[in-house]
Amino acid sequence: MANRMNWLQGKTVRKNTPGNASHSRSSSTPQIHSTSATIFGGGVKDPSGRITEYSSEDDQCPVCKSDKYLEKKLRLLVSSCYHKMCESCIDRLFTLGPAPCPICNKVLRKLAFTPQTFEDLGVEKEIAIRRRIAKSAFNKRVEDFMSLRDFNDYLEDVEDITFNLINDVEPVETEARIAAYREANAALTLLNTQREEAYIHSLRQAEEQERKERELRAEELRREEEEEREAKELGKRDIIDRLERADGSDASGVVRKAKRERAEREATRKGVAPGKGPQALLRARLAAGAATTAVKDTPHIPFQDEYYAYDDMFTMQSVYVDRASEAVRKDREGIMRAGGYWVEEAWERAVRSAVAGT
Amino acid sequence: MAKTPLYEASTQFKNWRYSPDSLASVRASLNSAAVAVIRNTFESDEPGSSSAVSFLTPDEELLLVRLYISKIPQLCGFFHFPEEVEATAVSYLKRFYLKNTVMDWHPKNVMLTALFLATKTTNNPISLEAYTNNIPKTSPSDVLDLEFLVAQSLGFEFAVWHAHRALWGIWLDLQSVPDAPRNRATTHADIYDAALQHVRASRLSDAELVYTPSQIALASLSMASPDLASEWAASKFPPDSPSVPGLQTTLASIRALIESSVVPNVEAVRAVDLRLKLCKNPEKVVGSKAYLAKKAEDERKAEEKRMKKAAEATTEGDPFGDELAGGPGGIDDDDDD
Repeated sequence: MANRMNWLQGKTVRKNTPGNASHSRSSSTPQIHSTSATIFGGGVKDPSGRITEYSSEDDQCPVCKSDKYLEKKLRLLVSSCYHKMCESCIDRLFTLGPAPCPICNKVLRKLAFTPQTFEDLGVEKEIAIRRRIAKSAFNKRVEDFMSLRDFNDYLEDVEDITFNLINDVEPVETEARIAAYREANAALTLLNTQREEAYIHSLRQAEEQERKERELRAEELRREEEEEREAKELGKRDIIDRLERADGSDASGVVRKAKRERAEREATRKGVAPGKGPQALLRARLAAGAATTAVKDTPHIPFQDEYYAYDDMFTMQSVYVDRASEAVRKDREGIMRAGGYWVEEAWERAVRSAVAGT
Repeated sequence: MAKTPLYEASTQFKNWRYSPDSLASVRASLNSAAVAVIRNTFESDEPGSSSAVSFLTPDEELLLVRLYISKIPQLCGFFHFPEEVEATAVSYLKRFYLKNTVMDWHPKNVMLTALFLATKTTNNPISLEAYTNNIPKTSPSDVLDLEFLVAQSLGFEFAVWHAHRALWGIWLDLQSVPDAPRNRATTHADIYDAALQHVRASRLSDAELVYTPSQIALASLSMASPDLASEWAASKFPPDSPSVPGLQTTLASIRALIESSVVPNVEAVRAVDLRLKLCKNPEKVVGSKAYLAKKAEDERKAEEKRMKKAAEATTEGDPFGDELAGGPGGIDDDDDD
């Protein structure tokens, strides 16, 4: 039940987790909430699953005009010419092979449809283009240039090309430019791609290494706790054994002796322990630092002005019988009070002015 | 290091504290100076005309100011201003006429300005339109024209220690007196009200210019209930302390001041006001010969100053330094090449 309610509370149902997937199939929930993790190509991939596919209540297929109200399962996909249509239209039009887009007549294939990630299709397009540009050819780094000036010029060029592609300015010439560039720099592009992959690989390895260390530490800690527990158990049994042997003549003495022995054992163990884990080492270092740099704790002396405020001439009460402030004191919500107003301060000021100058 | 008590650090203690005699002498000297100036103006305007004019005496001036002081509570009641505004405006008006005379500035407008200024300095602001629209025969300029003059005369010392706050403090502190009945503040509320009335009456007198707010408050309380006042005073000052006799005489003189303070008789004030119309400083009456003469004089002085400045500017050479102006070969700074 809890799982079924997830979609109501706006939580993401991840289709690729097996438990949920089977559930959503069997439940009567008509909503499909696929995440980008399930996307079969295109869109923004987000392994953490935080970015979800965009859909809204106002969705309407521009081809068959069916909408979310009547067709709960309606899911709009985006074509490579950035027109939306629903899944059933796509099935209908493109199952038999490439066909023209019903909106702009560009020839489309079924596999080229991608889920929508952003509300604005312009953003969707720009991201797709930028990804293509960065992946396909233009992945040079600042080290590949003689001067910063050259690098900046190169970046300017890339931005020009990207802008042209996004806004459909001179598409043929731009494509030609990209092709020419790719041909000229094929080796370098490949090298940079490999470098990038190596970098990602190393990052992943470092992450893995860290995770392993964390596990190791946790294991160590668990083992230590276990040992301690066992030692305690052993000590208890030891006391009972000794009490049995001492047959009640000096019970308290036996208990005391056993306790002392245990305390000694623990002390030696603790003395060894700091050498083991980095955590314990850190703690020990902190303690050492505190011991040497302990500052004498002098009481705080507030700012001393040169005025005498008649403080010895009156003692304030916690509350007064006072007609003038009755309404304000009754006002628990503080509607009548300005910020920082305290009736006690008003009282103190009045009493102070009563004793001032007599 | 001896610390300064807070009250003695206030401008009220430093700059607005007088003895009864010094008050009288300040007023007398202000009056005589003003009379001399005005007589001079009359004479220069029309020789021999000042002999027939009877100028106001310091007491008559004070009478006029008192009448307008007594108008302030009425206005405050109309606008529902808090007591603080009322007391502050009264203090401003009194202080203003310790630096100026009635013959120069008529208290009617000064009173309105002082009250308007007090609403702002005590954080109870009201819009100028709402203020003047509700007072008959008053335009915003009546209030604003004098505002800077009033503020300047007060020395921009707007903070005032008030007797009514001290009275409130005494009333609260009475609950701290040992063995005080817990509910006295509620059962004897009429005493507080009576004492507050005496504090209000004290505003018509010169008490606040001579005594401290707490003294006035204690005197007012002693008029309403001598027992409570002596009970509180005993809790603050042991009976054998040397300050007690002095305090008693002070309280007695404040009581005398409060008892003698009455709203001036309107008929008497009207007579004074009629005479004031004749002896007002003609330089401050718009349209009179003296006013025009003064204006012309001011303009002549301003013109002289301007001329002097202009002459200085030309003799001093180039304002950006001689290096630029008289450089070798000169700089061709016109663009018409």
